[in-house]
Amino acid sequence: MSTLVKTAQPRSRRGRSGSNRGRGLFVGGALTPLMLYMIFWTLFPMAWALLLSFFDYAPAHSGGGFLGLGGDNAFIGLGNFRNMLGDSLEAQKFRISLKTTLMFAFLVLPLNLAITIPLAVAIEAVRGRVKTFFRFIYFLPTLTSSVGVALIWRYIYHPQRGLFNMILKAVGIPAQIWLSNPRAIYLGVPLALWAIIITYLWQDMGYNLVIFIAALQGIPHDFKEAAVVDGANVWQIFWKITVPLLRPTLLFICVMTMLSSFQVFDIIQIMTENGRPQDQARVMVLDIYLNAFRFHNMGWAGAESIVLFLIVLVVTLVQMRLLRTRWEY
Amino acid sequence: MHKRLLLSGLAILLVLGLIACGGPAAEEAEEAPAAEEEEQIELRFWMHQNPAFIAANEEIIRRFEAEHPNVTIKLESFEYDLFIQTLQTSMPAGTEGDIMEMFGSWVCSYADRLAPMPESVLSYPEAKEQFYAAPLDGYYCDGKLYGLPNEFNIENGAVLVNPKMFEAAGLEFPPQWGTTEDLLADAQKLTQTDGDVMTVSGYHFVSGDGLAFQFLAGILQRGGEYWKADGSGMEFDTPEARETLEDMKSWIDDYQVTDPFLFNGETNWVGESFFSEQVGIGFIGPWIVPVGLEEYEIEFDYVPIPNYAGDKHYFAADAGWGKLVSPNCEHPDVAWEFVKFATTNADNAMTWNIGTGTVPALKSVAADPKLLEGMDWVDASLEVLDYGRYVGPLPDRDLFWYDIVYPHILGVFQETETIDEALVAIDAESNAMFE
Repeated sequence: MSTLVKTAQPRSRRGRSGSNRGRGLFVGGALTPLMLYMIFWTLFPMAWALLLSFFDYAPAHSGGGFLGLGGDNAFIGLGNFRNMLGDSLEAQKFRISLKTTLMFAFLVLPLNLAITIPLAVAIEAVRGRVKTFFRFIYFLPTLTSSVGVALIWRYIYHPQRGLFNMILKAVGIPAQIWLSNPRAIYLGVPLALWAIIITYLWQDMGYNLVIFIAALQGIPHDFKEAAVVDGANVWQIFWKITVPLLRPTLLFICVMTMLSSFQVFDIIQIMTENGRPQDQARVMVLDIYLNAFRFHNMGWAGAESIVLFLIVLVVTLVQMRLLRTRWEY
Repeated sequence: MHKRLLLSGLAILLVLGLIACGGPAAEEAEEAPAAEEEEQIELRFWMHQNPAFIAANEEIIRRFEAEHPNVTIKLESFEYDLFIQTLQTSMPAGTEGDIMEMFGSWVCSYADRLAPMPESVLSYPEAKEQFYAAPLDGYYCDGKLYGLPNEFNIENGAVLVNPKMFEAAGLEFPPQWGTTEDLLADAQKLTQTDGDVMTVSGYHFVSGDGLAFQFLAGILQRGGEYWKADGSGMEFDTPEARETLEDMKSWIDDYQVTDPFLFNGETNWVGESFFSEQVGIGFIGPWIVPVGLEEYEIEFDYVPIPNYAGDKHYFAADAGWGKLVSPNCEHPDVAWEFVKFATTNADNAMTWNIGTGTVPALKSVAADPKLLEGMDWVDASLEVLDYGRYVGPLPDRDLFWYDIVYPHILGVFQETETIDEALVAIDAESNAMFE
């Protein structure tokens, strides 16, 4: 027995070595271009943003030293980060944008889940082509360009010619100035932000819906059948079987939805023109964009992007801690 | 270990391959034409994307190339926002165009990255003789001239009017307004509502650009000043600024000629709503007229407005489009010659102004009656050009216009802040720009 093993081992190792080399070549060949791409287009810009955050950098200044850092683009250490707590206009706008971003992200996530999970269960319950039809219809907005969506919804919200106000008028409710009335605040949230959240949910929910449907299809029927045998009703099955078994998917959805909510930009830029009225829709990415490319304040924008990165990192880690599972089915 | 070595080797090979592909070949390609045709000069001309502006510049380039057969000017245009981003990223890399068409109020922000104009091309005193001060001074930073303007960007002095609406309201057309009250009286008759909702604004003057221009003009016409005497910052907590804001607010509260919630910079923007017949009188610069003629079929006119106060129509303007040269240009003498050719030659300057539908920065073009044959609407603006001055050395024009003045004045109109609060905030935030 031991002899057999000893004689077989060298052959096996030679075989593995050959296949390992081939696999290594394949992996190297496949991953190296992607790695280079990531280094140039992701890691390098991130490192550059981090570096800029320590300088009072504006591309229009000639600067000095290495990469134009120095001279007029002076090194200020943690000055940008300290100034975020100060009274300057940039700091005030930054804090407004931070508050708006948090409000937006923490409203979008629960609303998204509240819509998509029951909807996914309902769609999963139907059979045949009807299911495909619903899945297609709900997924369609996800495929649409955000710019197009923002333009159409901006028109839907138009105070005089918009569809929503026509409906409100038809049922005797006073028309609303959806996107430009800073005095309209509901549940502590400006109406303009509510309007954007509705649009964002409309476009984004199809993605989560499809993932939830796929996850629901992966839950073994045995569990539900066993619950039925034990006398559980539909509501109990949903809360005690379906939702807990969706937890790994829920983690993925929560992280991805939160990430995209923190990065929202195009819809807001188009629907509210730079976050108006009165900065009520000014989110962080918009503030970063305006500071970097409109106000030539790239050092400040770099510092803001680092803060956003850290916030997203912390929120993601918390989500992963809260929603992680230690089991499989 | 082998795997790591293999992967590292592969990565190095790929990088070397990329360098090998890009480096020498590209260098050869760049060197080849220079070696073959030494006399040929090619310059890149950068501008923002606007069909009328592109056509006008192409014509000027064509004329210049006809006079200079060894020079080729290649026009490259960028969508407006992308143009700003491209300038900001290309300038540090030194890859910007040799000649650039930039807006005057940007120039001092970019002065570090621009070539000062040699006095041999045109000195500042000589330029002052030929150009209006308002557009020229945008190109003058720290005692140096960085380029020359083609356009006098003006928003004040005249408004869009809709003759059909005037006729329907039984008003005289063209209007003969002696005072702002006359204008507002007409605007009241033009205003229409459906229940509580204003459907037609008699006088739409609430826009991102318009509010700051009217505010500054109101201060100047009342004999006030918004720059501190020593030039160290700005001053808005003044009686003239307060009076101007009170006056503008009365147009909304007392005359009710517009609804600042329904007609502002974001909702029913003045240009769009005027041409869709939701506005009787619209405050906007003459640059909108060619856009209206090109894209809309409604009948309209552009007429002068009375002074807000005093007997002179003083106003502040933020320069206008003009031409500059990159410090990285290899043929600066030719590039400056083109700038001078395009801006100081009256024929070329007029061609550019008529083509783009803009008010001339060159005095001789504004005084030439031929200009009105090409664009008669500009007559309303020409009357006040002498009273214009450059807005001043704002560290950031857009920040001042769109993030300081506009939101606070709109806040006053929408009653989210008082006039006193707005003035204090505008004053503090404007001065913070200089810190």
